[in-house]
Amino acid sequence: MTKEFTQITIPTNLYQQLEEKIKGTEYASVASYVTKVLKEHLEKSPGEKEAFTSEEEEKVKERLKALGYID
Amino acid sequence: MKRKVLVIGLDCAAPQILFNQNLQLPVLSQLMREGIYGPLRSADPPITIPAWMVMSTGRDSGRLGLYGFRHRQDYSYHKIWIATSYSIKEKAVWDYIREAGGKSVLVGIPPSYPPKPVAGNLISCFITPSDDKEFTYPQELGEEIVSQFGPYLFDVKFRTDEKDKLLEDIYHMTRHRFKVLNYLIKSKPWDLFMFVEIGLDRIHHAFWKYMDREHHLYTPGNPYEEVIFDYYRELDRLVGELISQVDQETVIMVVSDHGAKRMKGAFCLNEWLIEEGYLVPKSRPTSPISFDQLEVDWSKTKAWGWGGYYARVFLNIAGREQQGIIPPEDYEREREILIQKIKNITGPQGEQWQTKIIKPQEYFDELKGDYPDLMVYFDDLYWRSAGTLGHGKMYLEENDTGPDDAVHDFNGIFILYDPQEKQGKTKQASILDIAPTILDKLGLPQPADFKGKVIS
Repeated sequence: MTKEFTQITIPTNLYQQLEEKIKGTEYASVASYVTKVLKEHLEKSPGEKEAFTSEEEEKVKERLKALGYID
Repeated sequence: MKRKVLVIGLDCAAPQILFNQNLQLPVLSQLMREGIYGPLRSADPPITIPAWMVMSTGRDSGRLGLYGFRHRQDYSYHKIWIATSYSIKEKAVWDYIREAGGKSVLVGIPPSYPPKPVAGNLISCFITPSDDKEFTYPQELGEEIVSQFGPYLFDVKFRTDEKDKLLEDIYHMTRHRFKVLNYLIKSKPWDLFMFVEIGLDRIHHAFWKYMDREHHLYTPGNPYEEVIFDYYRELDRLVGELISQVDQETVIMVVSDHGAKRMKGAFCLNEWLIEEGYLVPKSRPTSPISFDQLEVDWSKTKAWGWGGYYARVFLNIAGREQQGIIPPEDYEREREILIQKIKNITGPQGEQWQTKIIKPQEYFDELKGDYPDLMVYFDDLYWRSAGTLGHGKMYLEENDTGPDDAVHDFNGIFILYDPQEKQGKTKQASILDIAPTILDKLGLPQPADFKGKVIS
């Protein structure tokens, strides 16, 4: 069975720096911050621009709602 | 490439209608009689996005990291991202064709906005914000189309009570698209010509209750009883016109991304989660609101869900979500308890539901992107999931966000017509079989790790 969570080992000193960095931010833990950073790293293709402007994105979301894909 | 392949994509085409011999679809029936046809098992989830890309890449949703139109961003409670052409990281059939020196014409395959460079020509799909935007590759193709055919029509607004107007809009859009297709098929070079017509999906959702005698809102003798059948016949005629332009060697495939069936209703998932103590609002809404408008006490909430043609359920995990409360070590146990509770949900009259639940981590061999903790098909998809709440009831007879009579079904359709191998047989195939079959007909090698098989 694939487990949802697993552990990796990182230097304590790096962990402490990250802990300092996320204090008072939206990140609940170093784990959630590191997850976000690594996911971004994996998923971002270099040089890719945003698909929509924020206005367009709102319009598209409204359309997708009207189409029943989002509600 | 010695031979060409034309792929006719009919979004939502349903086997129980398309394969009905009484419908009189001369063109499609001939392709069936002389080809191979049958139900095509859709992707999980059986939703337009990811299904068309599962078909085009031969990769499942887990590998694509696509589980619908929207996804959660960074495990946040409300931030989402919308799937676009940029979200597709796997090679599609047209990429293999490009590498082999071939050309493609691609029209309306979701998601194809923003238009990415292809070897050939591309028109983007219905998520395009408008035709003021760059919607083609190359960019000049957009001007060429608009100057000859007028504004390009991506979609219609189907959730409306103005049914006559909607019908007119759907016909207008579809005929317009086929004019463009007829132009492209003869004026542009291609080895693969593939398009998706979205009108069929829209007409199913908007008119299903007028046609389906088993639908709880069906009225005998209503004026729209034949609307869906008429539209299939119109598509048959349009397809006939289009294929009359291809040579005798061209392989023709007709495919759909998922099927359709009657909607029994919408189930208010978040309302149920509140009742069960999983979702704790700061106050109970008294009129319908979206989940985003609900003030949630996250410090007491264990789970919440999203609506759509299938439900996504998320758990509030300590260290993962900002105010998560389920310790990671309890993830599997808590999830299992919730699964059992969801499985026990019955219909409004206490009738048994055939609810199917997927744990993405176990279901997919590879799991990318922002997957939910659970994927839920209420009553085998007959009940859609409403994310909205405050309706004063858990079961809605009609859809919560505008008129909609149909839901998706697992089986779409395929017809494979190869003029060199006339067959006349039926078989069940998988949406993962389409990419290998296209490559095979073009004489291109198969990636070793394709899960699908060449249809033969």
